[in-house]
Amino acid sequence: MMKKRDALDYPLYPVVLIIALLALIPFFFLLILALKSPEGGLSSIRLIPDFTWSNFPSAWKAGSLGKAMVNSTIMTGGGIVVLISLSSMAGYTIARFPSALNKTIFAILLACMMIPGIIITVPLYTLLITLRGINTYWAMIFVMATNALPFSVFLYSAFIRSIPISLEESAIIDGCSWFGAFWKITMPLLGPVTSSVVILQGVGMWNNYAQAVFFLQDKAHRNIPLAISLFFQQYGANWPLMAAAATLGLLPAVLMFLFFQKFFISGITTGSIKG
Amino acid sequence: MAVPALVLFSLFFLYPLSRGVWTSFTAWDGFSTPKFIGLANYKAFFQDSRALRDIQNTVLFALGSAPLLNIAGLLLALLLNRTFKARATVRSLLYLPAVISPMIMGSIWYLLLQPRRGLLAILLQQIGYEATSNWMLSGSSAMLVIVLVNVWQYAGMTMIIYLAGLQAIPIEHFEAAELEGASRGNIFRFIVLPQLTPALKINVITNIIGSLAVFDAILALTDGGPGYDTESLSIYIMRMSYGNKTGYSTAVALILFFIILIPVLFSLKFFNAKEKT
Amino acid sequence: MKKKTYLGKLSVLITLLVIVLLPLGAQGAKATQNKISYFSGRVETVEWDTQQVANFEKLNPTIKVEYEFQKDASNVIKVKLASGQAPDITTVVTQDFIDSGLFMDLSDQPFWNRILPSVKDLCTDLKTGKQYKVATNITMGGLFYNKQIFTELGLKDAQNWKEFVTNLEAVKKAYPNKTPLFLGGKDSWTLGHLIEFWAHGVAKQQLGIPGSRQAFLDNAVRWDEPNGIMENFAKALLELRDKHLINADAITATYDNQKEAFASGEAVMINQGMWVVGDIIKLNPNMETNIGFGPFPSVVAGLKPMVLSSEDSVYVVSATTKDADAVLTFLNYLFQPEVQKSFSETRGIPSAFVDVDANWSPIKDDATRLVNSYVNINFSTEAPSGLSVDDTGRLIQKLLHGDYASPLQFAQEYQKIWDSAYATSN
Repeated sequence: MMKKRDALDYPLYPVVLIIALLALIPFFFLLILALKSPEGGLSSIRLIPDFTWSNFPSAWKAGSLGKAMVNSTIMTGGGIVVLISLSSMAGYTIARFPSALNKTIFAILLACMMIPGIIITVPLYTLLITLRGINTYWAMIFVMATNALPFSVFLYSAFIRSIPISLEESAIIDGCSWFGAFWKITMPLLGPVTSSVVILQGVGMWNNYAQAVFFLQDKAHRNIPLAISLFFQQYGANWPLMAAAATLGLLPAVLMFLFFQKFFISGITTGSIKG
Repeated sequence: MAVPALVLFSLFFLYPLSRGVWTSFTAWDGFSTPKFIGLANYKAFFQDSRALRDIQNTVLFALGSAPLLNIAGLLLALLLNRTFKARATVRSLLYLPAVISPMIMGSIWYLLLQPRRGLLAILLQQIGYEATSNWMLSGSSAMLVIVLVNVWQYAGMTMIIYLAGLQAIPIEHFEAAELEGASRGNIFRFIVLPQLTPALKINVITNIIGSLAVFDAILALTDGGPGYDTESLSIYIMRMSYGNKTGYSTAVALILFFIILIPVLFSLKFFNAKEKT
Repeated sequence: MKKKTYLGKLSVLITLLVIVLLPLGAQGAKATQNKISYFSGRVETVEWDTQQVANFEKLNPTIKVEYEFQKDASNVIKVKLASGQAPDITTVVTQDFIDSGLFMDLSDQPFWNRILPSVKDLCTDLKTGKQYKVATNITMGGLFYNKQIFTELGLKDAQNWKEFVTNLEAVKKAYPNKTPLFLGGKDSWTLGHLIEFWAHGVAKQQLGIPGSRQAFLDNAVRWDEPNGIMENFAKALLELRDKHLINADAITATYDNQKEAFASGEAVMINQGMWVVGDIIKLNPNMETNIGFGPFPSVVAGLKPMVLSSEDSVYVVSATTKDADAVLTFLNYLFQPEVQKSFSETRGIPSAFVDVDANWSPIKDDATRLVNSYVNINFSTEAPSGLSVDDTGRLIQKLLHGDYASPLQFAQEYQKIWDSAYATSN
């Protein structure tokens, strides 16, 4: 199905190359810094690094990154599951049944996206204390899913609108409920949207610091941004070590992206919208 | 079917929000008992020269960042919608910057771009070029650099959404247009753009909101300086909140909400009208 | 079929919830231990604290200390307090907190017998005459200088502002590529400290320490007085800038840059506190014998040079603690001479306990000399609590950036933000 017109014109290749390199600049320097030997300050940096690979295991141990990795994975994974299931259903309802109530709900969700998070920080903290959610996985999962909810609902409802309702209607004629039709027919078609949500919001969850600093206080529940921030404070002057820690911290998010973008995007070009 | 989402949202957002709004009508320092003062905080805001300057900074930033993000994201998506060998790799590379927390990313860029002492300056010195100007010393040049760093970080994110939109366009539409001999420009205007309306809507609105709420990038690059010349409203809110003016900061946060609301409402109206055609 | 998928998804969700909730339930069944919470903002001693907590728990199996460190401690604690979660012991103290009656009265505790009277004075709350906080160390601040260069150029401690400028000019003449005085202005707290040392210091010398503390509390000092402290301070800084005696990128250089510059010899003098010494030696071990420590001059004519000598490493106990005995047991463990000796050496600052003899720093001798020869002033904790050194530091950024029409205007803005912060906390 790949027609020749789909291929990239050769003259544009260098453009793509330059853009890709531009995107990589800070990572490149981060790596150079991470491989630098700890002596001497920043001014002693050179383009060819010292290849001090030992910075990585040192940073891993010093920052207790192992436990933080596990914590972050649990909370991000849980958050994504909750988010996808809840926001897709809500987006579907809003897109398919545009009642006054649903329109209002949508407007409220959208409005809340524009509210600076700091307003709710203290009352949310108090609420979590009442619910005994401090230092727990479940509370953080729900809070992060809530953060991402408006945007995801927005995304889902916008794309669901562009899918013809006739597909679900024929399924319903065959005996499905709206709910079943959604999960069996519509959801698979939302591959690109779901992968976008996972990538976009999952990263936000992985990097959550502003709330984690209040809600995850003990060492056992620390997530990666907290561990790295603590690291930055403790080893402030040791830039190579900090760069190594930062590199390790962002590796999982990068891997997650690589995995999801391959999985979903290849799926759509073949099983695309049928007439 | 939307019920579970609504329950979650009401509990973990709407309820704390209502309490937060109530705080904006008090003179609260963040830990002792709040004192109700009605609209005094809101009135004080319009006399607050630092806050008003911050609005200017924030809006200027958004005027630079939001359009650039959309243009860059769209161009990248169009470029990478074609097939070529390393396509998946390049897409991943472009998205990569958005994966890192903005605070860390800002710090790395600062390491690179710090006037005279940053890595870039050192490397340039080594090849004999000594920069004498200091981009951080002027509010406008500093803001420009911050906008560019922000665009660099999030263009990939914008691109992803445009790609999802582009990929959802049925190939048959292209085939039919080709058969009729349509030009590239016309294909873009009459086939691609209308189909991209959902993606456009999402990206424009998200970028407006994100740019007006800018926080980490500025903090990491200039700390709002020199003085308050690049301080954004979000940064001001945080500083007031921790400076024992929590009640006031909440009021400012709600004002920021209204500042964000206006362009978003306009965009929504615009795109919803487009969708109907 | 539809019911199955719905139930399927629901059961997955519930299973997930159960899995994460289980550990919660398990916690309730722990043995009855006395639990106390220790909340610290001291980043330099995180490892030391963790070690001590472990040692203490071994010696006292019935007491469990929940140690939490946050770099943003002063912000996080407000949220904790607002939610009724005051830690039993903490290192974060402000006058506002003391006024709100949040802390336990420690005045009658026996450990004061082993602490220097001057430190006890600094820990005394002026409003009530009681001690709500205890400090285990002293820290000092002043001008660090490159001994080698000073000796080479025959320079000595400046006794007044004119001599100070002459010293800097001598350095500039001999070494045009070095920075006589290096400022790390992007980290605005270093500039805020400049105000603490050079500007507030004058008030403290003029009014004496208890006098100045009271004056700050009453907002009685007129910073915007013409030819007063702040105007002279601004004039002094501008003089340094215009004569190129400070680094051209004073506003954009960081604290790290400052340390590196001093360690490498690029900077000949820096205005800092003792805490930098360890970092500088790490950057360049040769500096260990090359760090000089001296007083800073008065920006107002007719006063003597000063050195900042202040209480450090404070602890407070919550007034609402449920287990005062456990808390005091822990504190008394920490205050033992051997433990304090290791703390003093870890932090590189002298101990406030009379029975602790620690080798805390290479600048120990200089420090003693300074304390004895010059006017000692303290760090002001009596500034309005909403006003941080970050905030005041930013005003200096503006000053050096040329945003003020005159030094007097700077003084007036300083008065304004001081008044505004004062009004909020009263």
